[in-house]
Amino acid sequence: MSDPILTGEGLKKYFPTRNGVIKAVDDVKFQMEKGEVLGVVGESGSGKTTLGNMIMGIYPPTSGTITFKGQPLPSRAKERPIQLRRDIQMVFQNPASSLNPRRSVRQALEVPLGISRDSRSMAERVDRLLETVELPIEYADRYPEELGGGEKQLVAIARALATDPSLVVLDEPTSALDVSIQAKIINVLMRLKTRLSLSYVFITHNLSLMRNVSDRVMIMYLGKVREVATTEEFFRNPMHPYTRMLLSSIPVITEAEEAVKPQRTQSVGEIAGALNLPPGCSFNPRCSHVMDVCKEVDPPLIEVAPRHWCDCHLYPDEYKATQSV
Amino acid sequence: MALLEVKDLRVNYEVYEGVLKVLNGVSLTLEKGEKVGIIGESACGKTTTVKSVMRLLASNSIMAGGEVRYGGEDVLKMPKRKLSDLRRKKMSMVFQDPSAALNPVFTIKQQLYDIIKFSTDDHLSRGETHERAITYLKQAALPEPDRILESYPFQLSGGMKQRVNIAMALVSANELLIADEPGTSLDVTIEDQIMRLLKKIVDEKGISVILITHALGTVKNFVDRIYVMYAGTIVEEGPTKEVFNNPQHPYTQMLIKAVPKLTGGGVPEGILGQVPSYLKPPPGCRFVTRCPYRMDVCDSVPRMFPAGAGQRAACFLFDEGHRPK
Repeated sequence: MSDPILTGEGLKKYFPTRNGVIKAVDDVKFQMEKGEVLGVVGESGSGKTTLGNMIMGIYPPTSGTITFKGQPLPSRAKERPIQLRRDIQMVFQNPASSLNPRRSVRQALEVPLGISRDSRSMAERVDRLLETVELPIEYADRYPEELGGGEKQLVAIARALATDPSLVVLDEPTSALDVSIQAKIINVLMRLKTRLSLSYVFITHNLSLMRNVSDRVMIMYLGKVREVATTEEFFRNPMHPYTRMLLSSIPVITEAEEAVKPQRTQSVGEIAGALNLPPGCSFNPRCSHVMDVCKEVDPPLIEVAPRHWCDCHLYPDEYKATQSV
Repeated sequence: MALLEVKDLRVNYEVYEGVLKVLNGVSLTLEKGEKVGIIGESACGKTTTVKSVMRLLASNSIMAGGEVRYGGEDVLKMPKRKLSDLRRKKMSMVFQDPSAALNPVFTIKQQLYDIIKFSTDDHLSRGETHERAITYLKQAALPEPDRILESYPFQLSGGMKQRVNIAMALVSANELLIADEPGTSLDVTIEDQIMRLLKKIVDEKGISVILITHALGTVKNFVDRIYVMYAGTIVEEGPTKEVFNNPQHPYTQMLIKAVPKLTGGGVPEGILGQVPSYLKPPPGCRFVTRCPYRMDVCDSVPRMFPAGAGQRAACFLFDEGHRPK
């Protein structure tokens, strides 16, 4: 049944700086099924974008491997065969800076279209691509400054789809947009996913959005995966104290949403600096359940409930107990 | 008498391309001790509105009409001396980006001392100034205030910088505090802390508040009343609960619907189209280009009509003569 398109194993990315080593991603393990939307959620400094960049080969991991469709992925984009580079594409957060202001939409799309052979004319292919992302074909000869923020992001999406990828890394694709525009972009993305059988790594800080688009949610905090579960299970039963704090901090607008939030966990403390992480579990200074062991041992990521992984000293024994019954 | 009364405010900006007609007759009132929110998407005139109240607009702005009455006096026509008294002792503002609001080359002590000395007519000794500074920092829930005073902004985290900004605003905001997206640039767990802190302080001191945000959830538990802005106009006003549970203006309805919900259910379509250009805004209702209920009469400017339970909406749908069946 399991048909993983992308897996990561022992993935680390350390950045040496003058003042010490920043562990941006520290021993991350994940698995993603074909056709799935994997939501990578975290606050700033959690390593979510670093993870996305490693999948893209923008920079190589310090250690660990990424496997794509059963084959180990060369760590740098340059070392990847063109077919592989075509197959994994990325959409960045801010379309205003990811599009070249001096290139028309047509010019932006012709570059990636040019690397694959196709019997149709280039003009024809640009038109089809614009239709795919639900933009009018007249937009081909416009420049980014003539487009709204949402339209620019659709062009960026079209550019990513030009090479006919099967995996797209979406790095906060709607964070720079207004909520009324965000809805439109998300809907286009979800329609495209079904129609072109894509898989998405969806990086965001917005859990409310993840509730609506992802199949699986992965929570990161200071370079570590803290909790992974299917979206249903995740929102029904958030287990990690950090996840609960995060969920209870989300500003919501309806009473029904308030009911979903774990009410007892109030946000306290600060996110630790990346250069001086606390020993043990990096969340321990903010955790309301902190125990002595948390200050010494970083808990491993283990399956604490069926298809629900969490790294917290609170859980392993309880689950084992329920399993043996 | 209302503490603050903005009447039919019109503000334009002169730019290279021409004149941006931004605020198009904005009216709002704030009673003593009341907390109101202004919500709307980017560039809808929220910040321009509150900056007019403090007379902090950029030099290319043109006051094209209307008045701002604070305690009965017109702020826009006030002599400099009086305006300065207002800013020293009555009202202050917390800005969106805590790093940009602090001067990077001075310690917190130098900056906070300056504000404290500026805000009073008495001559304060060094000891007294220090004492007051510590009090304000403590009110803003900053641990180790003595260490904070000696720090430069770069030595503090984003959350702490925003707390320092709140402390600085409290020095002068004895009657009115304007908070312009105070949590937007912070992580969600930190934003939650900042918003709870702000609410506690203003409730204890009975300070009136104008809270600006584009994140609808953050105002919900904070303010008594909400103004919804769209393209430089106020489209709906009413009690917070009513506006969220039973929005009346088509824009408010669509905006609230477009927010992804923590309870799931998919993302709705959002609002099609773009915000009109301020260079050539529609002559009447400014939402007309995106409104599904568009009528002929919408080419004239709608006044605020009573709508729903205690709300008012600037829409001809609520005018007896124009109401469709």
